[in-house]
Amino acid sequence: MKQPDNVYLDYAATTPADERVIARMQEVQTTSFANPSSSHAAGRQSMEVVTNAARQLGALLNIDPDALLWTSGATESNNLAILGAARHRAHRGKHLVTMRTEHKAVVDVFKALEKQGFAVTWLSPGDDGRVLPEVLADALRDDTQLVSIMHINNETGIVQDIGSLGRVCREHDVLFHVDAAQSVGKVHLDLQALPVDLLSLTGHKFYGPKGIGALYVSASPGTHIEPLLWGGGQQRRLRPGTLPVELIAGLGAAAEISAALMDDEYSRLTALRASLWEGICAIDGVHANGDLNNGYPGILNVGVDNVEGESLLLALEPLCVATGSACNSQSQEPSYVLRAMGRSDLQAQSAIRFSFGRQTAPADVEFAARTYRSAVERLRSIAPEAVA
Amino acid sequence: MSSDPYNAMVREYFADPQHAGDLEGAATGYFSDQGMHIRLAATVSGERITSMRFRAWGCPHVIAAAEAICRQYEGRPVAALEEFTSDHIMQDLAVPIEKTGRILVLEDTVRSLGQAIRDSA
Repeated sequence: MKQPDNVYLDYAATTPADERVIARMQEVQTTSFANPSSSHAAGRQSMEVVTNAARQLGALLNIDPDALLWTSGATESNNLAILGAARHRAHRGKHLVTMRTEHKAVVDVFKALEKQGFAVTWLSPGDDGRVLPEVLADALRDDTQLVSIMHINNETGIVQDIGSLGRVCREHDVLFHVDAAQSVGKVHLDLQALPVDLLSLTGHKFYGPKGIGALYVSASPGTHIEPLLWGGGQQRRLRPGTLPVELIAGLGAAAEISAALMDDEYSRLTALRASLWEGICAIDGVHANGDLNNGYPGILNVGVDNVEGESLLLALEPLCVATGSACNSQSQEPSYVLRAMGRSDLQAQSAIRFSFGRQTAPADVEFAARTYRSAVERLRSIAPEAVA
Repeated sequence: MSSDPYNAMVREYFADPQHAGDLEGAATGYFSDQGMHIRLAATVSGERITSMRFRAWGCPHVIAAAEAICRQYEGRPVAALEEFTSDHIMQDLAVPIEKTGRILVLEDTVRSLGQAIRDSA
């Protein structure tokens, strides 16, 4: 049987832009190239494109489109939300709360704030990867100003109960930021119903273009942020700079497409994850790092005893999978997310993240299961008996 | 500059390690450090190594290096083991500098094998 050149199972790292998104961007590039801040007719036409995209994204999140700030992606959105809110409220207090299992784009921002004199409480998850509302409540102090907790974990697919966690924050008059890079466009998010003040998202995780994201800033009293950039009056002076109209149009189109496909995709991904797990769960020493019942079905993180992780990753080629988050995958260090969940260095080091998406076919998953079984068997067969 | 962390030799030796396995009645050297576990086995006729095999638990560079050593030393004098240094392996396999310690574990294993052969003589 001919082996495929590659089988892409790394949708949590990034997704290919939907062809309808690409078509929309190409159209906008030629028809609406003008600066949307310009007051002439061509500028107004570009601004109409931006406004339409905000409506599309607003509909996906059930928010007023005016609550959106366009950014370059989730990393910038996280920086703007966390730095911006912490600095704005610093006169009221300098205590902040987040989790040890957050993405680097959040962890490193809090580390930077610690160096600037803020106190940060780092919550550890339970064995199931979640933080309970009562654990969060216990961590809050009179001077706590901001809590930041991600919705869906990028490595494990574990879903935090942001509704309950947000209610704790509301009860204590603390701002609640959610890094929703892995959940927007994939699961229903109703921000009218959820007690979330700030929410970060990025286009390329849900079949939109790279280089464009957004930050939702609630209109509720007390939700204010300071800008990180200076240089113009765009976006209420909170995020100046000329708007990339075609990228914004692409993000809007991706939002509309995702809203239409979401329920069917969730069911399909659930079946794909179940199929992969069924194909590998009989391997001696294999375990899922995550929640197979309640976790996001687009991600299956698998560890296996007595197999070296870097060799496993290479032996899995032509599968395109990840050992940690894409941003961290060059380091080959054991995942700090899995370490925070109580996994040993060895267990964390053998972890492979399979993530599925719109183009993943059942045959891809069957091939992945076969390849994984064969790779584990081969590596164990050449290891000294003391290890294997 | 290539974004591939493995050169062609590492990929070939890792994908098809012809010397992975055991040898009946062979002298063996074993070393475990830095999270690596390596065992080398050799049969000897007179002063020459007739066959070599390895078992390894480690990253692709370590597995490829173990295979390279087996290929390199079969048919050579036992004394050559004493002169082994990891410089050529590091170069041929383009081992990243941060993995030097792992390859040094292999160097220790080669020495351990040389000692085992001497002890069994």
